[in-house]
Amino acid sequence: MYLYLPVALTSVNILIPVGLGLAVGLLSGLFGVGGGFLMTPLLIMFGIPSTVAAATDSNQIVAASTSGTYAHWKVGNVDFKMGIYLLIGGFVGGLGGVQAIKVLKAMGNADFVIKMTYVLMLGSVGTYMFFESLSSMKKTKTATATSKPVKESGFSKFLQSLPMQTHFEKSGVTHSALLPVIFGAFVGVLAALMGVGGGFLMVPVMVYILRMPMHVVVGTSLFQILFNCIEVTFLQAYTNHNVDFVLAVLLLIGSTFGAQVGAVFGRKLKGDQLKIILAVIVLVVTVKIVYDLTSTPSLLLSMGGGH
Amino acid sequence: MNTLVKHAGLRTAVFLLFAVLVSSGTAFAKLTATANHDRISVDFFYHGSTVSVRGVSDPGTDLVVKIASPEGEQVLRQKGKVGGLLWMNVGKLTFERVPTLYFVQSTKNLSDMLSEEEMNKHVLGYPALEKHSEVSPVASVAEKEKWFDEFVSFKEASKLYSTASGKISTTQEGGEQQYYILLDWPYQAPPGEYTVSVYAVKDNKVVDSADTKVHVEQVGIVKSLAGMAKNKAAAYGLISILVALGAGFGVGLVFRKGGGAH
Repeated sequence: MYLYLPVALTSVNILIPVGLGLAVGLLSGLFGVGGGFLMTPLLIMFGIPSTVAAATDSNQIVAASTSGTYAHWKVGNVDFKMGIYLLIGGFVGGLGGVQAIKVLKAMGNADFVIKMTYVLMLGSVGTYMFFESLSSMKKTKTATATSKPVKESGFSKFLQSLPMQTHFEKSGVTHSALLPVIFGAFVGVLAALMGVGGGFLMVPVMVYILRMPMHVVVGTSLFQILFNCIEVTFLQAYTNHNVDFVLAVLLLIGSTFGAQVGAVFGRKLKGDQLKIILAVIVLVVTVKIVYDLTSTPSLLLSMGGGH
Repeated sequence: MNTLVKHAGLRTAVFLLFAVLVSSGTAFAKLTATANHDRISVDFFYHGSTVSVRGVSDPGTDLVVKIASPEGEQVLRQKGKVGGLLWMNVGKLTFERVPTLYFVQSTKNLSDMLSEEEMNKHVLGYPALEKHSEVSPVASVAEKEKWFDEFVSFKEASKLYSTASGKISTTQEGGEQQYYILLDWPYQAPPGEYTVSVYAVKDNKVVDSADTKVHVEQVGIVKSLAGMAKNKAAAYGLISILVALGAGFGVGLVFRKGGGAH
């Protein structure tokens, strides 16, 4: 059955957005990512204008991440305190990122810098996560039952010397409160630059820098994605008129269920298993982007807007 | 002068426009053009439509049916190769004096039935549309040609541009020629007013023309939502967010009751 989308000004078979929502919602509930890096290009592929695709996806993520946060919160896997510090940083970083885009545009090579940043970030995060989780999976096999060896690297000593040390009970870690704010801001800048939610960056930051357990990472990531996407949806609707309500509803029908299923399924997997699957997905997306960048496009013109 | 106009068979006709005779003294049947509907309503279940055009013309004339939106400016992103390897957006191109939608159907190949001057004068066919349009920034005529071709490919991919011949059927009856064509109307065509122009052609010249209009407009929920997104953007944004929050919580509750716990 087809429905007409009043803002996208096009008609879609409803099975497509519902199916996409289900698939991306599943990933969201499993890994704590918004899934914009998958959803937006897929929507464009199905004929949705790129600006409407990005804006409507953020509206859909509000639903999927509410559903996912709720599912993870029920089993005590959301660190609200950490989430709020990350949000503060992310908000500041987002503002900085928007300014950075203006500077890059004035320099005239914005698209090149943005695309390169995107590919390098995805590629290096994916590769690092892949090999790290692979080696820690091997370790747990050989050295059974030994609790986490506490490595005292120079970096972690430095982190401990920072002021405002705070204990994050849910995550079981102690950090300077500045740490999540700074890294939240860092992800915020990059996310704004690349026009994505940044979940795929936030998850590794929480795992590798904030040393949070993977299951709490997923829930907390969804919590902060929820607030980011509320802000983005409102701004997109208010200033750009790009949110398609009908498309968002079709997507969220799938994604809210997908997020629940993902959360339930995720509990059955180990942290390292989750990390390695996410790493593979991130790497596949990287390869796809590199392929698109190097192969001759069939059309050399596209709709304006976005960046 | 034969001014007889046949109305038979025009059961679905909504209105009729007569063209004024323009030509060099020979006798003509007045060219007429009627679309099967002057209004296409875009509702929730809209998935495109069809438009048929029919009318009468002088026997022995060839015909061209053109459907176009008003001309305007379109800004598109331009892809190019960076560093000899990577394809990405390298800038913007502005196309001026081009319609959003442009369909040209003719009884024969346009270039076999019309002189170049006539095609240019009435903007019939892609080469004529290219001459009529302006593309900027381009460095040369060759570059304009290249990017106009890309523009046509882009438009054809969205089903908004097409040119073809041989789809118009004609029958001779009582000293008049009746013509008929049925075209698929793409759902990609945005709301607005479209002009259907029919040209009668003889001896490489347009000897007569007639116009009719097709309006595409949103109705019902589609119209209210599109209007709200534009005119009550803050409320629209808030409602979108609240619905998403509600749906997320709702589904969360359903799963709790449904035994999602372990």
